Amino acid sequence: MSPLAELLRVTAVTKRFQGVEALADIDLAVQEGTVHGVVGPNGAGKTTLLNVMSGYVRPDAGRIELAGRDITRLTPQLRVPLGLVRTFQNIRLYGGLTVLENVLLGQHTRARTGLRSLWPFPTPQERALRAEAEAALELFELAPYRSRRAAELPYGLQKQLEMARAMAARPRVLLLDEPAAGMTTDGRHALVERLHELRGQGLTIVVVEHDMDVIAKVCDHVTVLNFGRTLTEGPPAVVLAGDEVRTAYLGT
Amino acid sequence: MSPYAEAVLLQVGINVLLALGYWIAVSTGKYSFGHAAFMAIGAYAASMLTLNFAWPLPVAMLVAAVVAAVAGAVIGWMALRLSLLYLAIITFIFGQLVELLFAQWDYVGGATGMIGMTGTTLTLVYSSIAVVVVYLVLLTRSRLGLAYAAIREDERAATASGLRITRIAVGAFAASAAVTGVAGALAAHQLMIITPSLFGPQQALLIILYCVLGGVQYFWGAAVGAIVLSVLPIWFEWLNDWYMIVYGLLFVVLMIVRPQGLIGRSERSGGGPLLRRLRRDGAVAVEREREPVG
Repeated sequence: MSPLAELLRVTAVTKRFQGVEALADIDLAVQEGTVHGVVGPNGAGKTTLLNVMSGYVRPDAGRIELAGRDITRLTPQLRVPLGLVRTFQNIRLYGGLTVLENVLLGQHTRARTGLRSLWPFPTPQERALRAEAEAALELFELAPYRSRRAAELPYGLQKQLEMARAMAARPRVLLLDEPAAGMTTDGRHALVERLHELRGQGLTIVVVEHDMDVIAKVCDHVTVLNFGRTLTEGPPAVVLAGDEVRTAYLGT
Repeated sequence: MSPYAEAVLLQVGINVLLALGYWIAVSTGKYSFGHAAFMAIGAYAASMLTLNFAWPLPVAMLVAAVVAAVAGAVIGWMALRLSLLYLAIITFIFGQLVELLFAQWDYVGGATGMIGMTGTTLTLVYSSIAVVVVYLVLLTRSRLGLAYAAIREDERAATASGLRITRIAVGAFAASAAVTGVAGALAAHQLMIITPSLFGPQQALLIILYCVLGGVQYFWGAAVGAIVLSVLPIWFEWLNDWYMIVYGLLFVVLMIVRPQGLIGRSERSGGGPLLRRLRRDGAVAVEREREPVG
């Protein structure tokens, strides 16, 4: 596949909640290896769009394709092994489980997980996955908390763990729902760096975000939503400076 | 060993098996209120085979396990996709239904039940426990056991990790039913007489209480609960009719002092669900503050 192929494509997606159009005829194409930002004021439909992409909300009309394959009707569970993995705005960790266990669960679709996983002597594959999980803890600066319960971590580290768990699935497209929300300034800097790093490794990222600074720094392409419609899209430098965005946010 | 001591050890062993079986389902966070039905299914299946076809009990136990597992899978498939409330209602009704079915079925004696089953020995009971314990030790160390825990912790997060929740939970439910069925088979061949009413709501409740009293965090907590609840009635025999009242009080006190059961970490000091909830709410509050800024 050429480096600028469309990896994720949303075509004419519409979603109504009790008559209110949360998404109206949305088209969106995410190029492989890019970071695609989705911005817009509250209620613009950003999270709904992410939910449609990841399978948590089924659209009333339209289709979602991943690498040319129609995945509109697949459940979220079945999208993960295809390489579509997400995080949540409010962080959803396995709070009672350890940090390492959280990352191991991220590998679920890549590992042997049925009754055969009961066999007490790890297969070479399982040993490799465990080593990889330990390496991921190092990479995401979580190694010191390896055996701590996830719920005991401070907020910033919980966000990091959620991303580490998502990355453990080896996604082709990572969907991030407000990764900078609630972060300190330092945390946001670290996040920007991490996203640059992941992009450097060839990962495709879709990021829904309020923080325009983060969007401007990490995105190759930005889509602006307002009232469930695409207002404008393009490179962040152009889009964020445009009048449409200011109008959408400030209402004048 | 005196026959009395043997009877006590058999009873305790069978109850431990029931608790361990139930724990498998509970480890996915799913509480059944009709597990006595799987006990009944195992008891009747095995009794039919040993009485009417003269099968050896160990083989009949295996069949009981399979039949109970199939029943568990069917019920699980219907109920496990629904909320915990519906799961509770459906499993409870299933329990009533099974009791009623056996009471109406003349081939197995209807309401008067079956009589004459023998053959439950200490060896059979305790080797069954050994097999289940080995299974549970391997399970809790495995990725399958981890998946059970993930479903218990947060189903939405589990779907985001690609766990096929219904399939995994149904598997756990079937395994749980299988162990419960084996316990039923053993119980039938110890009691010598079984009637449908033996496997009613009281029995279902007892199985739940073993787990809740002992604590559901570790499987051996459930086993401890079963041992304590099996031995207590013997200790408190001198209380006669009063023992149910003492029992009830004991439970109320325990639920206040140790809500996590006899065995297990305290959720309060360890930062369990309560603290997690506080954190999550905290996160939401921060977002709300930020949102108007854009």
